[in-house]
Amino acid sequence: MITLTHYLLVSAALFSIGLYVILSKQNAIQILIGIELMLNAAILNLVAFGKFDKINNGGQSFALFAIVLAAATTAVALAIVLNVYRRYKTIDPGKINQLKD
Amino acid sequence: MTSITPHIDSVVVTCTLLAAGLPLGASAVNFLLPGKTGRASGWLSVLAILGSLILAGIVFSKVWNAGEWSVQQAWFTIGSTTVYAGLLFNNLSALMLLLVSAIALPVHIYSTAYIKAAEQNRYFTYLSFFCFSMLALVVVNNLVMLYAFWELVGFSSYLLIGFWFTRDGAVKANKKAFIMNRIGDIGLLSAIIILFVQYHTFDLTLLFGQNGLVFNSFMRNGLWMAPAHQLPAVWQCIAFGGVFLAVAAKSAQFPLHTWLPDAMEGPTSVSALIHAATMVAAGVFLLGRVYPLFNTTELDILAIIGCFTAFLAATIALTQNDLKRILAYSTISQLGYMIMAMGIDAYASSLFHLVTHAFFKCLLFLCAGVIIHEVQHIKDEHQLDIDPQNILYMGGLRKKMPITFMATVVGCLALVGIPLTSGYLSKDGILIQAFEWAESRAWYYEILPVGILLTSALTAFYVARLIFKVFFGEFKLKEIFPDIHLHISDGSWAYRLPLILLALCSLFPLFSWNPLLYEHAWLFKGFLPVDYLVRENVYHAIVPALINIISVFVVYWAYAVYLQQRKLVFSQKSFLFKLSYHHWYIDTFYQQVVVKAVVAFSQALFWFDRQVIDGLIHQLTRAGKLLAGMSAWADRYIIDGFLLLITQVVKGIGSFFRSFQGGKVQYYLYSMLILMLTLFIIKLLV
Repeated sequence: MITLTHYLLVSAALFSIGLYVILSKQNAIQILIGIELMLNAAILNLVAFGKFDKINNGGQSFALFAIVLAAATTAVALAIVLNVYRRYKTIDPGKINQLKD
Repeated sequence: MTSITPHIDSVVVTCTLLAAGLPLGASAVNFLLPGKTGRASGWLSVLAILGSLILAGIVFSKVWNAGEWSVQQAWFTIGSTTVYAGLLFNNLSALMLLLVSAIALPVHIYSTAYIKAAEQNRYFTYLSFFCFSMLALVVVNNLVMLYAFWELVGFSSYLLIGFWFTRDGAVKANKKAFIMNRIGDIGLLSAIIILFVQYHTFDLTLLFGQNGLVFNSFMRNGLWMAPAHQLPAVWQCIAFGGVFLAVAAKSAQFPLHTWLPDAMEGPTSVSALIHAATMVAAGVFLLGRVYPLFNTTELDILAIIGCFTAFLAATIALTQNDLKRILAYSTISQLGYMIMAMGIDAYASSLFHLVTHAFFKCLLFLCAGVIIHEVQHIKDEHQLDIDPQNILYMGGLRKKMPITFMATVVGCLALVGIPLTSGYLSKDGILIQAFEWAESRAWYYEILPVGILLTSALTAFYVARLIFKVFFGEFKLKEIFPDIHLHISDGSWAYRLPLILLALCSLFPLFSWNPLLYEHAWLFKGFLPVDYLVRENVYHAIVPALINIISVFVVYWAYAVYLQQRKLVFSQKSFLFKLSYHHWYIDTFYQQVVVKAVVAFSQALFWFDRQVIDGLIHQLTRAGKLLAGMSAWADRYIIDGFLLLITQVVKGIGSFFRSFQGGKVQYYLYSMLILMLTLFIIKLLV
């Protein structure tokens, strides 16, 4: 019997892996992948909570919106990465440190 | 200007000021001109001294035998004492003014040829400066100015002795002369101070004039009484001692005579002007100025010192081989005559001898200069290693240099005191008066005239030796170096003219129309007291005859010794010869005793300074350094350390927070995460 707790554990694991990827990787694309992992953890939570909801398919449909939005933001992020590469000839966020004062 | 006598003559004053001022002007111009003016500066000085001579002649014609008067102007005032600057005119000043310029003119002309063109600018700066000092010295009317010019004369002599300052000997000689003269200057200064304390004036006329202050002071009960003041009698003796020191230093009398022979390191023309004719006469001149100060005992001391110096120098001159040194010792000897004449109350004879000696000794030095010049020429031409002043290398120059020969013979005859020369007149005057003086005293005073007579004989001998060695026989250099070619002569007219002029002045007509009696000399009469009685006695006939017989005999003896080579002279190994050859060991004595003692004392002081005073200071510095080191350490490690610690802490904190703002996106996220986690943990725990 798969309970809500199992879903949430998988989701938390996904989130943590995503966070780890974001913090540790030196490649913007991989960081993007990490963000996607975290986002998917959140969507998984939505779907899991939706299964145990009184209103049918509320969570699932919201998750679909979230996936679409995630695809859009990913496209934007990839465009940014492309521009960053053009400008700095690198996509290592550690080397692009012009945000500091 | 304020006058103190009615018959003041402004022409004379102007002439005198100009006569003294012209050489100063020439000196100043030469000093200011660039060093490459060459012979032009020489002729400038010659013109200046010629002007001085003409002006001195005018002054002389108006002042001679015209009484004593002076002009003066207030110079400065200290307290209630006003010091005046003024001129004193009497026979002595007029005569000295004329004499100095008359001697200086031929020497100047001679120098234009003798000194190299490149060195003339400097040389004539010094020489004209000397002439100014000397001319001013003889006409000033008070002791302060006298002292000032006395010093200037010594200073210019120092400059001229060391003229060739690259020679070690010249530098040593001018230091020696300067130091010796300083000893005399201290004496003169103390005498001046004592006189001022006693009489409250520096004025020479007031002090030493007819019925002046010195005439009116006397000794009573061990006190020295002046009209307005009194001092213990010992101060009078100290004043005499001071004056004597000054005279002994300037006029090269025993025991301060040793600088004069060394001063021969200067150019020969300088020796002729300064160290034979004028500067050394300044001592005698000073005696003439302050003559009334001395009492009979002091005059006796002067006479004894003068006589001893004359004898001492004459014996040294017998064995010297350096041409100029012979003449230098001869000068010392003749100055001894003058001092002795002052001492035996032969004031007029002393000054008369000063004048005649100035002419013939200047002549002799200029002759020596020509000879040395020619020998130096041979030396340079053939690169010989000889001393050009050594008479042992000379000989037979009579035919090569006839004019020099004649001039030297005239000068030497005058020096010996042969009739028809000026030296005969003045020297016999001294001798006769010496005998007269001794006659009125105890028998042992006879030593003085006899000693001076002996000195005359010695003079004849060394003069004859000089003449025979230099002018007769064969030229020794030619014998030693057979392959040298000689073309030596009397030199240009600038050499010949001064020699001829001075030789004429060394003969009798300039001084007296009667060549045998000194009493008839106009110069002698000019200095006699009004009440002087001519005492005709046996000495007036015997002494001159005796001297001349002795002189002729001695000259013949020298002739026999040096030209016929007979062995009639002392062995060169005997004690007497060595004594004479080594200047009576006086220099050695001074070197061993005085100089070494002074040097040892200085070294002791140096040691004391280095070890004790410096040591103390070194200890102090060490202590100071230690203290400073400790402070520095405390400052460095405690105060600075504390501050550094604070900065380090601040810096560390700063760096710590700064590291979050590294510009790396992931770090921002990371720190945010940690912060959030921390917050949650805290919230869990609390």
